[in-house]
Amino acid sequence: MAKEKTFFDKLKAWPLLLPVVALILVMAVNIIYDAANGNNPFSFFTITLQNTTANGTVLYGRIIDILNRGSEAAILAIGMTLVVSSSAGTDISVGSVMSLAASVCCVTLAGYGVSSTTELAHPLALGLLAGVAVGCLCGAFNGFLVAHLKIQPMVATLILFTAARSIGLLVCNDLIVYVRNPQFGFFGSFMGPIPTPIIITAICVAVTALVLSKTALGTYIQSVGINAKASRIAGLNSKTIIFMTYLLCGLFAGIAGIINGSRITSADSNNIGLYMELDAILAVALGGNSLGGGKFNLAGSIIGAYTIQAITTTLYALGVSSAQAPVYKAVIVIIIVAIQAPPVKAYFRKRSAAKAALAKEV
Amino acid sequence: MKKLKINGNTLLLLITIALFVVMYAGGMAAYGAKGFSRLQTFLDILKTNAGLICMASGLTVVMLTAGIDISVGALVAMDCMILACGMEAGIGAVPMMIIVIVIGLIFGAVQGFLVGYLEIQPFIVTMAGMFFARGMTAVISTDQKSITEQINPLFYKLANIKIKLPFGGYVNRKGVYMAPNISVGVVIALLVLVLIFLMLRYTKFGRSLYAIGGSEQSAAMMGLNVKFTKMKAYILSSLLTSIGAICFCLNTMAASVQQALGYEMDAISSAVIGGTLLTGGVGNVIGTFFGVLINGTISAIVKTNGKLASSWPSILTAALLFLFIVIQSIFAAIREKQKG
Amino acid sequence: MTHRIGSIIFKALVPALITGLALCGCKTKEEDGTAASEGLVTVGFSQIGAESDWRIASSDSMQTSLSTTYGYNLIYDDGQQKQENQLLAMREFIDQSVDYIILDPITETGWDATLREAYDEGIPVIIIDRRVDTLDDSVYTVWAGSDFLLEGRRACRWLKEYLEHISFDDDVNIIHISGTTGSSAQIGRTKALKSAAKKFGWNILMSEDGDFVQAKGREIMEKALEEYGDKINVVYCENDSEAIGAIEAIEQSGRRVGSDIKSGEIMILSFDATRQGLLLTLNGKISVNTECNPEYGPVCVDIIGKLKNASRVEHEIYMEESQFSAIEDITEVEIDGEIYPVTMVDRELIDSRNY
Repeated sequence: MAKEKTFFDKLKAWPLLLPVVALILVMAVNIIYDAANGNNPFSFFTITLQNTTANGTVLYGRIIDILNRGSEAAILAIGMTLVVSSSAGTDISVGSVMSLAASVCCVTLAGYGVSSTTELAHPLALGLLAGVAVGCLCGAFNGFLVAHLKIQPMVATLILFTAARSIGLLVCNDLIVYVRNPQFGFFGSFMGPIPTPIIITAICVAVTALVLSKTALGTYIQSVGINAKASRIAGLNSKTIIFMTYLLCGLFAGIAGIINGSRITSADSNNIGLYMELDAILAVALGGNSLGGGKFNLAGSIIGAYTIQAITTTLYALGVSSAQAPVYKAVIVIIIVAIQAPPVKAYFRKRSAAKAALAKEV
Repeated sequence: MKKLKINGNTLLLLITIALFVVMYAGGMAAYGAKGFSRLQTFLDILKTNAGLICMASGLTVVMLTAGIDISVGALVAMDCMILACGMEAGIGAVPMMIIVIVIGLIFGAVQGFLVGYLEIQPFIVTMAGMFFARGMTAVISTDQKSITEQINPLFYKLANIKIKLPFGGYVNRKGVYMAPNISVGVVIALLVLVLIFLMLRYTKFGRSLYAIGGSEQSAAMMGLNVKFTKMKAYILSSLLTSIGAICFCLNTMAASVQQALGYEMDAISSAVIGGTLLTGGVGNVIGTFFGVLINGTISAIVKTNGKLASSWPSILTAALLFLFIVIQSIFAAIREKQKG
Repeated sequence: MTHRIGSIIFKALVPALITGLALCGCKTKEEDGTAASEGLVTVGFSQIGAESDWRIASSDSMQTSLSTTYGYNLIYDDGQQKQENQLLAMREFIDQSVDYIILDPITETGWDATLREAYDEGIPVIIIDRRVDTLDDSVYTVWAGSDFLLEGRRACRWLKEYLEHISFDDDVNIIHISGTTGSSAQIGRTKALKSAAKKFGWNILMSEDGDFVQAKGREIMEKALEEYGDKINVVYCENDSEAIGAIEAIEQSGRRVGSDIKSGEIMILSFDATRQGLLLTLNGKISVNTECNPEYGPVCVDIIGKLKNASRVEHEIYMEESQFSAIEDITEVEIDGEIYPVTMVDRELIDSRNY
């Protein structure tokens, strides 16, 4: 009996509890749904090889689909986790920055004023670099406002939220710029049998995790988030740390933007990254991170991002249209944050304490 | 110390008004010949933005408590869809408007409860609210709904009423005197503006909003019911948004899932440009009104010009936001210096 | 301490400067706009947005035909998919007393008040592409646009002829990717398909709103392939963007697109005939592409010319449209006794077109 209790306690303290439980729940819904429809109950998990005319033999299956489509959210979630941790605020500009990065990248590749091309006007590397550089620039702008001018993160990033998408449109000369070129399309299609976005995400996650674990950066970010003033005294320059997290967030937004642009081989400024900032923030919250800053859990955010994608894919499979899906997302968000809310936690603690006291008396 | 604070805030308001005047005068100088100097041009900005004035006033109230409400745009879409579908089903215009207002109250009460009593971050709560309202619009109908004279004659009539002003008219090319006119929506919006202005200035509720935004702890120590006041602020915001939605619908006479997309950001930027601090405690609906007018003037100038890319209004709005946010942060820094 | 405040003020100067520059940049451009408007016919054009190749082609046509070289001063406004923006643009046009207003309305309703204002001002309004639903039709001068029902019927008739030609006896299973629900194009093209399916006994397996965009077309097709797989043999897309998305999804899944549906290829029917769509028609990936003519510029010039001379203008004008295919076996389709030719696509034809 006592042993079981400690296991439960351990489980309760496990930081990944929330995202993992959510993910398991989503999978369970899929299994039940498939079984109820007379399909193979585990068709959710099946991965098959399929021959395609466009890309040769590729992996196919719902899991692959979720991993593939969740890539942008997962990449954004890395940057968002760091921003939330260091500054106790969110960067709401990432979706717009994605759009701007894709626009700049596509315009560099197609040439200004061209609306559709199959030939590249500039080398591919230059286009990618331009996209990523614009992302970094936006991140630096946000970082400057938050770290140096001490402006509330949401307010500071509101500026680029409003402007970045429109600047992208201006760069594109108000057109949807199509770059129908396989070289550019590569980042949104397949590398061998595996979708390229999955590989890019894996690299981003691995590099970030390595840097955070091998250097003291992770600890710095957390300590800045826990107490900006105290860490300044301890010899850390909190401004530089906060600035850097925003820069990284912009960088990742740039990468995500290029992937998204490559997926549709175009820069559709009005639609790329629309509502992505919300998915990224949701991923961080779902990953068990406090939006109040401080300690962070990168793995949780990544799992959170894929959980959101799994929810979306499942909803589609259940026949919910993409326009109606937000209703369910909203309910899920509220449940998750309500569980984590201090007054609710305090209420449950009181109840379990009362129960324990009652048990003692008996 | 207190004197400086007031000066700083009045200064912000003055900057906003001055900016509007300069901008409008610039428009008149450049496009006076193209009708920009007509009173009607100004009234048209009001007509188009009547809904936005209501929403931004509500948002100002929430922002005074250091909160935010990003659900307003989606709520407008949902309200319009309910209005259109309800009237299509044969329900009268007046009952439908009451239903929409009640829905606004309930929506605001839920959001307010989550923010006030469960202490969840306003941004997250209202983001969920935005998801919910936008998705619910699609659940009600994914079609583009239209409100025609056949569907509801009363609503149609309301939308087409022109309230003529006795001055500032002009003679048109047919030689007919055209009196400047405003719509019912403008009257509602101006009424809302005056009421909220008076409420903030002269009621206990209004003053406690400022107190909570200034410092939640000291407000609680003063014996204010912080939780309930916050909840009321969100209820007021959603209520005003629903009233705004009616004005909006009277202007567009249509409903669709994509309607009023990004309107929350127009409302927030209007409030910020109008001198409302996102950190709470400082702000005024008069400033917000001028914030809406500045945004409206920018797009009117761009539209009158006709050669500028349509993305300019939002880029210019963002540039103004940038300017105002930085000015605010300087005032905040100076104030902190004075304290320390 | 003063140093600190000084540095803060300095930091503030930078954004102020940027804002100032942005506003100045805007100002100088404005001056260009007003300089040469003397003696020109001023036309205000409120466009919906720039969401598709077709829309861009339509704006381009308007801007070329109504340029200063031909004696017009075009005030172009992109509504960015928002009716509010279009309403404000209309009012601004009226306030500055333009000579003509051209409107491509995003929604059918909500225009009564502004159209009435234009009428009272004595400004003729030309509605293009989509229709408006007004209490009194006389508030606008003329509507010019496509006969979407006819377009749909031509496409369905072509399919019927082709199936007969290859003597296809199996079930015809259609995936229908429709346009934005409620738009005139969607209503007409969908109506044509539904009645043809009923008449000829075709099965419509699935009918979903693709919003005229590539990404949604792809999403719907992926869903359809997952659900119906090998059963599918025809996809009816209501514009080229959706067709491009659907083709991507089909090729990704391992199926082939083409007209040889007997050997398991999936046939695509599309509309609009944009450049990209015609290239796909040329290489056989789209079997038939029914044009939706975006060249409104010349039509509007014609209408304005007639209005100027006070000659009679029809209240409704239909655009001339063709139908394109690379399959030489079907040369014409007949609808209600009227013969409509099917044009063969080749490289030359595509290069000769403006869009």
